[in-house]
Amino acid sequence: MDRIVAASAPRGDVVASIGAAGHRRRRRRLRVAGAVALAAVVVAGAVGLIVGRAADDGPAHAARPPERSALAAQLPAAPAAALDVPRPAALDRTERGTGAWAPVLRATLARTRPSTGAATVSRVGTRTPEGTSNILEVIGRRRDDAGALWVRVRLAVLPNGTTGWIPRAAIGGLTAVHTHLVVNLAERKATLVREGRVVLRAPVGIGAPGATTPTGSFYIRNKLTRFASPTYGPVAFGTSARSADLTDWPAGGFIGIHGTDQPELLPGAVSHGCIRMRNADILRLAKLMPVGTPVTVRA
Amino acid sequence: MRLEDDTPIGDLDLAVIDRDGAVREAAQALHSRGDVLRGGLAAAGAIAAGLLLPRSAEAGELAGGDRSVLAYALSLEYLQDAFYTEAERVGALTGARRTAASVLGGVERAHVRAFQGLLGSGAPARPSFDFRGTTEENDAFLRTAVALEDLSVAAYKAQAPHIKAPAVLQAAVGIHSVEARHAAWMRHLVGVRPAANAFDEAEGRDAVLKTVASTRFIVRKTPRTTRKRSPRFTG
Repeated sequence: MDRIVAASAPRGDVVASIGAAGHRRRRRRLRVAGAVALAAVVVAGAVGLIVGRAADDGPAHAARPPERSALAAQLPAAPAAALDVPRPAALDRTERGTGAWAPVLRATLARTRPSTGAATVSRVGTRTPEGTSNILEVIGRRRDDAGALWVRVRLAVLPNGTTGWIPRAAIGGLTAVHTHLVVNLAERKATLVREGRVVLRAPVGIGAPGATTPTGSFYIRNKLTRFASPTYGPVAFGTSARSADLTDWPAGGFIGIHGTDQPELLPGAVSHGCIRMRNADILRLAKLMPVGTPVTVRA
Repeated sequence: MRLEDDTPIGDLDLAVIDRDGAVREAAQALHSRGDVLRGGLAAAGAIAAGLLLPRSAEAGELAGGDRSVLAYALSLEYLQDAFYTEAERVGALTGARRTAASVLGGVERAHVRAFQGLLGSGAPARPSFDFRGTTEENDAFLRTAVALEDLSVAAYKAQAPHIKAPAVLQAAVGIHSVEARHAAWMRHLVGVRPAANAFDEAEGRDAVLKTVASTRFIVRKTPRTTRKRSPRFTG
């Protein structure tokens, strides 16, 4: 019990202390409230005087304006926007694309360096032998000493893998592609990758001995359709690769990717250098692979 | 290249960096009135009126319709989206310009998706572009970016009075201020005063269209890459 009393005594002091502090806070609040009220009266009086003078100076019909708070309350809330704008995002790796191509707008000369004084590599025309627009894969750019912009492009010439520099002004707008065709000669297999994912795998026929399929980096130049030639199947893609063996082949000896009327020979080394696919596969490829797609042929 | 604060874009000596003349031609078209803001407007406008809007809109029949305004705005966004996205893909820019192309490209792509979602099947088709090297070099990129952003700001401003629905106006104003921030950022990077005027002029669609068309950023003839023809490949 003593312990209880002993313990309760200080508690009573604390309560008393708290009570005293509470009284002091209340007194302070009262003083602050009084000061605020006084200030409000002064401000209101001043505003009243100003408004009253303004009303006196103004037209006879000028009415006393509503309180500011009332005016603010009359303002409508912001309407919801009609657009649902997604969060901005930078391009990811797949969105950046696998390459870019541009059409040749005017015939020009490809040179060894970005300079009009550099040696000529080849002439670049505006049309392919198939009559389509000549397109070039753009793989670099640089300004020359005079400030003109040049682009480095893959050239559809022998030896395969040749690149050259042409004036940027000779080509048109860039088109990005998001596909990449890889042909593995040893495995006799073609793989199409789109935005980082394999979307097609197919067995292929490749060049026979003496008419080998060239290896290296190329691109799809055009697509030919609705022709009546069972040998090439229903669709044929033209590439920038050329046969190094059949140099006297008509129309330049370009390597194509096309169908066949002898599917039983696939996979195999059976062609004159072209990449043959079963007709069902080439039709699928035609739906998935746009012109301009980079092509890598590996040994 | 650092420029003096008060130097308007149209007065820059483009020959110093533009031996091909492509940037100079585009800039002259954009700034033919000697005003960066109004000049900028012009580039994006040509897309909208010249190629994307239906003929009835060109004739002015839909000029007061919110849908027409939205389609026009989407056309401007297509232009900016394509410009910054191409710059980011090409990867030729360096430093702050590279960062700007990435950030602004993300924003403009978001705007395009938003407008496409709102317009649905009525959205205008995306045109093809040839930016003629302006996405492939630092200085040309910046000058064009300033013009395009100023263009966008003034174009949105001109269409605001024609919008009927508050929700559409709210959306347009929300994008307008974003484009103004872009314009200030690009102006800062190129070295001209970001906020030089006390009042920004608006520019109507017709004037915008005319000027944008003259930049030749919009490609009217796409390359023919497919043909019905028997191949002569090696087989």
